Amino acid sequence: MTDVPNPAAPIADPRGASSLLTQDARTTRRNRAEGRFRLYGILAIGVGLLMLLVLLVTIISRGTGAFQQTYLTLPVELLEAKLDKKGNRDIEDIKKVSTFGYSPLMNAALEAKVAQAGIETELEPKAMAALLSKDAAATLRDFVLENPELIGTTVEFEFLVNSRVDGYLKGRVTRESIANDKSINAAQLDLVDALVAEGSLAKRFNPEFITGSDASDQRPEAAGMGVAMIGSLFMMLVVLALALPIGVAASIYLEEFAPKNLFTDIIEVNISNLAAVPSIVFGILGLAVFINYMHLPSSAPLVGGLVLTLMTLPTIIISTRASLKSVPPSIRDAALGVGASKMQSVFHHVLPLAAPGILTGTIIGLAQALGETAPLLLIGMVGFIASNPPDGIASGLMDPNSAMPAQIYEWAKRADPAFYERAWGGIIILLVFLVTMNAIAVLLRRRFERRW
Amino acid sequence: MTANAEAPGTEPKISARNVQVYYGDTHAIKDVSVDIEDKTVTAFIGPSGCGKSTFLRCINRMNDTIDVARVEGDIRIDGEDIYDRRVDPVQLRAKVGMVFQKPNPFPKSIYDNVAYGPRIHGLARNKAELDDIVERALRRGAIWDEVKDRLSAPGTGLSGGQQQRLCIARAVATEPEVLLMDEPCSALDPIATAQVEELIDELRQNYSVVIVTHSMQQAARVSQKTAFFHLGHLVEYGETDRIFTAPEDPRTESYITGRIG
Repeated sequence: MTDVPNPAAPIADPRGASSLLTQDARTTRRNRAEGRFRLYGILAIGVGLLMLLVLLVTIISRGTGAFQQTYLTLPVELLEAKLDKKGNRDIEDIKKVSTFGYSPLMNAALEAKVAQAGIETELEPKAMAALLSKDAAATLRDFVLENPELIGTTVEFEFLVNSRVDGYLKGRVTRESIANDKSINAAQLDLVDALVAEGSLAKRFNPEFITGSDASDQRPEAAGMGVAMIGSLFMMLVVLALALPIGVAASIYLEEFAPKNLFTDIIEVNISNLAAVPSIVFGILGLAVFINYMHLPSSAPLVGGLVLTLMTLPTIIISTRASLKSVPPSIRDAALGVGASKMQSVFHHVLPLAAPGILTGTIIGLAQALGETAPLLLIGMVGFIASNPPDGIASGLMDPNSAMPAQIYEWAKRADPAFYERAWGGIIILLVFLVTMNAIAVLLRRRFERRW
Repeated sequence: MTANAEAPGTEPKISARNVQVYYGDTHAIKDVSVDIEDKTVTAFIGPSGCGKSTFLRCINRMNDTIDVARVEGDIRIDGEDIYDRRVDPVQLRAKVGMVFQKPNPFPKSIYDNVAYGPRIHGLARNKAELDDIVERALRRGAIWDEVKDRLSAPGTGLSGGQQQRLCIARAVATEPEVLLMDEPCSALDPIATAQVEELIDELRQNYSVVIVTHSMQQAARVSQKTAFFHLGHLVEYGETDRIFTAPEDPRTESYITGRIG
């Protein structure tokens, strides 16, 4: 009868009577566990930072070389007898002279330089000329076509040199490493040393790497990122113009208007799944639909943009819906309460509040699309474009082009180690692009947030 | 002598008959019938979850925004069935303003908060008229003197009590005929509560005010009529004085004496 415990009696404390000044075993254990957890966190962040550091150091140490190029400065006599036989400066006639017409002038200039500087070499003129880039004659021809009035005079001209010579100056090529190299020999390197000492052969910043076009396998020194950058830019324009309005409209409808039923549930699950679909699947979809079925041109930034739009849409929809969801329902109530329609409440009140989040999602989506390579391989956005950028956006969207990551991939694939350096350089440009985009996103976000 | 609206025996402003509300399978409001008079403050009291807020939200069809909610029965304002198929809830809500439990000013300027309703309903033809409407609404919200020098400041930067009065000003700016208030003072301190209560008393001159409150003292202070809700039923409805002094139903008595709720 009296075995009911008295509820007022204190429960015996298993910790025993203790002072607050000493830690009991349980507290010590808990504190140790917390300490361990913090240590894991710090370790994880430390490893991450270390990796980032390694990545940045590697990219910068290997890639910066691509922004510098070795040039040989030579006074070239632009003989009228060779370049404009009729002597009437008719541009059409001058155009008839191919690069083969320019090579002898160049080679003569080099020989003259060597003789004038008093450099002793047993090299044949042909072997001397091999120091120059295969692209040099074409550069000279372009220069003359732009300035036909200079024919008959002597101009100081900076010629690109062969990638081996460039590599020698950058330390990539050494006298030991050329033992089995047929493109260059020790005698040629002696000449290079002499020319460097004389001052006409030197490295300088190479803007052509940023603005120029790709070049063939034999002339890595002439390859640039410019055209691929324009291809990427066009694709981003297409993605922005399509994915942002479609994505935002879809999210607003799904989040604010659509009834909650099985059908919308299925759509929702599918959108989440699509965000996780490998990008190459979107590539083959684009190949099947846009190129094989709709007969859009392959390698065109328009098609690339369409494929990347498909890939980016789920990202944009998910982040837009999340930011719409985060707008407090009291704002919607307030708007409905004063008699706003559903659409007014969304467009006047909810959307402005969700804008920063939508913006962030869009930029993340765009950045993802910018770095995407796999789907571009399938639709042929790895065009070899060795000419300068196309003239306009309209034609540019349909013209064959490449994209930055695809270009990097192309370079990394090629045999000449000079291309390897350019691949790293390309990665620097790509990262600068991404950082710029993110910076713009942060700025816009700040701006929108200030206007609450 | 002209017969005016205040004459006894005229049509009630709001008349509800056999209203049922379901949230999915839950029967939240059970057969409520009530007549609410014009230019009166009517208080809905009752324990949490008794359905008083739900019923309030039926009067301006805010329940429409909840997918699973279903309203049956008949609610008329000035004799017009507000659940008629031809009624656009947007138009109804311009006529029946609402103030919510938590102050919810738009994250815009004080001016824009008040001007929003008149703007979307096209109540002002030009800026001067709109300025006028905003000033009148803020005066009626008893907040004009505090904010007249900073109309372009964000409404969210005001104190809680000021925010709630701003929301009241926003609600009256569209010239509603009925003002619904869902526990308007529950997030306010006693001083702000006193200010809002004073305001409610003034609003009675022009509107039919329906207020949901958890505080019986508040109901006794501000209302002329009181309705007691319990478990979805309207238990008792009558003059406030009588409800608090001589309740007829034992449940009402238990609630106002603090035994249930």
